[in-house]
Parts: sequence; C-alpha cells; structure tokens
Amino acid sequence: MSALLTVRDLSVHAGRQTLLRDVCCTLHEGEALTLIGQSGAGKSLIAQAIMGNLPASLRAGGEITIGTASSRAEDVAARRGLWGRRIGLLPQEPWLALDPTMPILRQIEETYRYVRQDAGPLSPARLARDALARLGLQGKERHLPHQLSGGMAQRVAFAAVLAGGAPLLIADEPTKGLDEAMRDEVVTLLREALLEGCALLTITHDLEVAAALGGQVQVLQNGERVESGACTQVLSKPRHPYTQALVAAQPERWAPLPPNAPGRLLLAAESLGQSLGGQRLFEGLDLSIRAGERIAVSGPSGCGKTTLGNLLLGLLPPDQGRIVRHEMRPHGFQKLYQDPVAAFAPRQTLRRSLRDLCALHRQPVARLDGLLEDLGLGAGLLERPPGGVSGGELQRVALARALLLEPSLIFADEPTSRLDLLTQQQTLEVLLRSAEARQSAVLLVTHDRHLARWFSPAQVILDTRSNPDTTADSSHGSDHSVRSLPAGVPPLSAALRTPQAAQHRAPRRAPAAVR
Amino acid sequence: MNVDLALTRRQRIGAALLVAIALFCAAGPALVGDPRVLDLMNFLSAPGLEHWLGTDHLGRSMVARLAHAGQLSLGLAALSVLSAAIPGVLLGIVAAWRGGWLERACVVLADSVLALPGLLLVLLLATLAPGAFWPLYLGLALAFWVEYFRVVRASARSILASPAVEASRLLGFGSFYLVRSHVWPELRPVLLTLASFGMAAAVLAMAALGFVGVGIKPPRPELGVMMIELLPYYQEAPWLIAAPVLLLTLTLLGLVLIRPQEAVA
Repeated sequence: MSALLTVRDLSVHAGRQTLLRDVCCTLHEGEALTLIGQSGAGKSLIAQAIMGNLPASLRAGGEITIGTASSRAEDVAARRGLWGRRIGLLPQEPWLALDPTMPILRQIEETYRYVRQDAGPLSPARLARDALARLGLQGKERHLPHQLSGGMAQRVAFAAVLAGGAPLLIADEPTKGLDEAMRDEVVTLLREALLEGCALLTITHDLEVAAALGGQVQVLQNGERVESGACTQVLSKPRHPYTQALVAAQPERWAPLPPNAPGRLLLAAESLGQSLGGQRLFEGLDLSIRAGERIAVSGPSGCGKTTLGNLLLGLLPPDQGRIVRHEMRPHGFQKLYQDPVAAFAPRQTLRRSLRDLCALHRQPVARLDGLLEDLGLGAGLLERPPGGVSGGELQRVALARALLLEPSLIFADEPTSRLDLLTQQQTLEVLLRSAEARQSAVLLVTHDRHLARWFSPAQVILDTRSNPDTTADSSHGSDHSVRSLPAGVPPLSAALRTPQAAQHRAPRRAPAAVR
Repeated sequence: MNVDLALTRRQRIGAALLVAIALFCAAGPALVGDPRVLDLMNFLSAPGLEHWLGTDHLGRSMVARLAHAGQLSLGLAALSVLSAAIPGVLLGIVAAWRGGWLERACVVLADSVLALPGLLLVLLLATLAPGAFWPLYLGLALAFWVEYFRVVRASARSILASPAVEASRLLGFGSFYLVRSHVWPELRPVLLTLASFGMAAAVLAMAALGFVGVGIKPPRPELGVMMIELLPYYQEAPWLIAAPVLLLTLTLLGLVLIRPQEAVA
C-alpha cells in the first residue's frame, strides 16, 4: 500500500530564523497522525506548508509527496491543483466557512459539481442529498447555515470538504474554542472519516482529542519534534520532559486547590430570569457571591453564561428577579474576556490604554508597573498594539488592568479557552494568586468540566437542553452544597475513549437563532 | 490628544502633493497673472515660456485660469465635504449611541434625503438665490451628509457593542473617552476615504450644475466648467483638458496617499 502523504525534511524559515526543522512523516490510508504542542510551536506551519499556503514572508524547504505527486516544499503551485481532490483542509470554525446566503444542499452540490472528478453516473444534487442524509440532515437541504445549530453547521462543512473526494484530510485545531458537546461531535466526524479510509493529519493542543483519534502522535516544541510514537504510548508514558509537562497541564491532573474562606456578602441575585432573542436562557436562579469566593459557571455554548455575567456586572438589567449589590464601590466588578485581543482598543498601544486608565483613576503609573511585574510581564510588551501580543500574555495584561481597580469580583468569561494547556495553567494560577491576595471573588465561566470541578465545589450549571422547565440549576448558595453533575451524562474523556464513541452523538441543542 | 507624527513614505508623498496643490491654489492667483486677459491672436497654444500651460480657445492663460479654478473648486469642494461630514459623523455617532426614537428619526430623515435626487435639492436652493455660491455648497452638503451618517452609524454600532468598549465602561471610562479612543480611530480611515471621493464628487457635481446653468458659469474659472469648455478642443490641444483633470486627479491621489494604512497582521 503506497503512502498518501510523505513529508521529508520539511523546514520553514522566516529570513534567517528557522521556525520549523526536520519534519518527517508518512501517512497511509486510514491512519491518523496528530501533532501536538503549545501555540507557537509551529504546528500550523506544517499544515500550511503541506497545503502550500504559507504566508508570503515564510520560506519552506524539503520534499512533500501527496499520493504519487512529489514536489519541493517551496513549489507551492504544484500542490495547489491537488486542493479538494487529493488533499482537503477542514476549516477551523466550520460555520465561518459556509456561505451564509446559500442553502446547504447547493453548497455541497457545488463541490461535487466543480471539484469532484470521479463522481460517477449520479447527479451532483443527488450525491449532495445522499451525503446530507448520511449525516442525519435530511429535510434540512434548503436551510441556510444560520438556521442550523452549531453542530449541524459543522457536519455540513465536513460534508462539503469530503465531497471533493480527497483521501487525505488536514484538520488544523478543529476543536479550538468549542464546548464539550461540539468537540465530541467534531471528534466523531474525524473518526468516521478515518473508518472510511481517509488519512488524517490533525493539529491540536487538546490531548483528549489526540487520545480519541489514536494513531501516531508527534510532539513539537519550538519547531522541533521532541517526541513521537503511538498515541497511547506517548500520552500514558511520556518520555520527554516537555511532553510530561503537557500531559501534566491537563486540568484533571492539577493538584486540588485548598478551600478558601469566603468573606462578606458582595452580591445576591434572587430568582433571576433572562431571555435573549426570544429564547429563554434561564429563570429562577438564586445566587450569592461573597468576597474571596470561587464559583465555576458551566454549560454548553449559547446557554447564557456570558449573559448571566453581564447581569451580575450590571451591564444588563434582568428580565425577571433582582440583584442586590452590597459592593458599593463604582468599579468593584471587573470582567476578563474570552478573546483578550477584542477587549482592548485595537489601534492604541497597550501602554497608552493603561496610562489612560491610571490617569482616570489617579493611580501612579509605578503601581501599574509593579502589577505587571507581579504577573510576570515585561514592560517592553506594552509598546505593542493588542494584536501583537500572545493570547496568554494579553490575558495577563487584561488582568493587570482589572487589578488596578482592586476589584471585589472578577467575572472571568472563558479566559483560557483559546489558550493552550500550559498557558492556561499559568494564566489561571496567576489569576487565582492575585484574587486570593486581594480577597476578590472569581466567577469562572468554562466549558471544561474538569476545569470547573478543579476550580470550585461551588458550581452554577446552566443547561438549556436537559430540563427546559428548570433551565437554571443553581445549587449554590450560602450553604455551599456541592452540585453533582447530572446523572447519565458520562464524563467526556470516557465517552471519547470508548470505541463506541463513533456511534454516539451528543444530544443536540435546538437550533438557536443567535450563535 | 497626541497625534502620531511618524508618517510612512506613502503618507509623506501624499502630504507633499497636497501642500503643493494648496500652495498653487492659494498663492498662484497672485503670481501667474489675470485669467481674464484675452490674447485672441494666440489661442490654443502649446505650453511654453510665456504661458506655462498654453492658452485656451480664447487665448487666456491656462495656468492663471487653473490656479483660480483650483482655488474656487477645491475650496468649495472641501467646504461642502466638511459641512456634510461634520453633521453626518456627529449624528451617526449620536444615533448609534442613543438608539431608540432618536436613531429611528435620523434614519428616516436620511432615507428620505436619499430618496430625492441630490441635484433636485441644489436646484431648489438655487432658485432661492440665483447665481450665489451658498446654495451650491449648502445643497451639496445636504445631499452628501447621508452617506457619512449611514457609514458612521453602522460602524459605530458595532464598535460600541464590542468587548473592548464594554471593558472600558467597566473600568470607568466616560463617553468622551470611548468616542476618542475606540470609535474615532476606527472611523478615521473610512472617513478619509469617503471624504476624498466626496471631494471628487463635489467638483463633478458643481461642473454638472454649471452645465445645466445653475452653478458657476463661465467666464469664472472652475475645474468642472473648464473641463466642459475645453472638451471640444480635445483633438487640437489635448494638453488643455488634461490640466484640470490632472489637478483633480493629483488632489485625489494626495488624499488617498495620506490615508493611514490598515495595520498588516
């Protein structure tokens, strides 16, 4: 059996700097290869170099063979003709890859019509209809992407890629920023593609995804391969210290946090209810927050986690119920955002933004410098615009910005869901240390069940799917009872690791009008 | 507010071009002689030492006419762009900020202006004061403010809804700061683009108005009027019509060049 993909001595350079060196891999039919590593390790460069769409400022070297077509890595045009037919790239956020104004059937049909070469006697429309039916989307052919749930949109995007008939698929961070149910769905789709004989090259920083896909694993650090081997071997018995650090950085392996003693009451919410876009998010939610307390908020995407935070922060008035605020300082409640880049004025240097903040609150700039040093940030960082700083560092700048006002409550809205494991651990440690030193309460929104469980026994679980009548489950109150997870929902890691996972689909959320 | 003075090479070229044109239009008329002097023995002459840009069909010095025309046209165009942009931008920001009935009222007003042909507005005003400049410029401003309003409202809405603005609000920043640091930097490049094309549109609109007999009439030199006057002599003396066209083109080029570049990611 000949290999579908052979990469020999692939390297990527930016000027004189080497970003990636000596990458070799071979993939046969039905095989999976997963590249893991921290962001900035050069994982995505490999995918771009193989596809031939590296940014113009970078130069690739080495040899890439796709099917029978061999070409030098720098010969980009040679591989462009293979796109879709011999090599397919799965989009990172699939709903962004769909045309919002075209019915989904036509989007898939056009791949069959214009890209597929060995389509056979059936018409492209018929093939597209069959493909949708196989993915459980019959009856939705005329729907536009926004009328589908996130999971369905994902399946449509997959169908569109698979329609080209490429036997080799590359998935670059296919689960970044997804909640557990959607991540499960992506992994299921990838496994199905494997079973059908595709070769799969996946790039991820999520070790659970790597474990679920199986096959071979390569671990990259700073553009170099530090470890490779069979997935189970590498993940269960990592040899290289970097791999060991990565494995240890998974939230389920973190050392438990010591319990903390909450102080005075900051805020009490009584029978809170809220709708968004005509959809009831939650109702009857009681919640009290005390100084220094840690509370985890979890639930699937679109269940109102962010909205709950905005209510508590006073950014939105509640539809039902009331919020009694016992913290009277004007800027005592602060927020951290999922995408820190979006939380800063984009066209100013960070120094300018922070200096303005110091001036507004009559704080000496030296205090800010002290804070930044505490959080392990160099002063040179501030000369850049927010887009020029890495996600983990920028999240810490955002934290420094919030801490300048000595907040009594920090609402952290998935602050680490876009960060890789090591950076996530580092960022959360810094957040907790700073909050503890100031007796600030932290409300952590996360879709990672392990992370939520590690963070606090006090959990608010919002779930619009399971029980539409009591849409909000708040177990939490002054008594701090521990809310166990709803029975019958298996922990994700277990679901992913069983071979039946390919047949199992997570329960689907009703189509949401608002994503 | 400190302005970033570090200009790119592109921006420096654009600025130099605009300064040169402004100098030519401002000081030119005093230096290059009277645009009304006819030299009927010497019409449609080629550029030379005596008449740098040649003479037109009546033997008038093109360079003198161009300087006067530039002053009038570009001045009037700049004035009408400013008087369209300022209320358009202010209303756009206020509508996006306040929302509610105020926004709806502004939108209805803008849509009804859009429904009228701009020319009709100017004609209406011109009948009130025939031959004067102010109806021209007021009419152009009334016709053009809508596009500023619509563009500014649309982008200000999305900027004001962004996490960055929400974060700034939570940190205690007031509305003035939000507009200055969040809204304005995003709007500036868009506005400069709109304004540079608005300049061209205003010059051409004035020419069109002159053509239907409402705007500026010959013999007063004006860029649009000159283009229309000189078009018939295109065969014999193509350099003549090239002069006003080139002046307008260079002005627009300068405006496009000084526009800040989008940061390349």
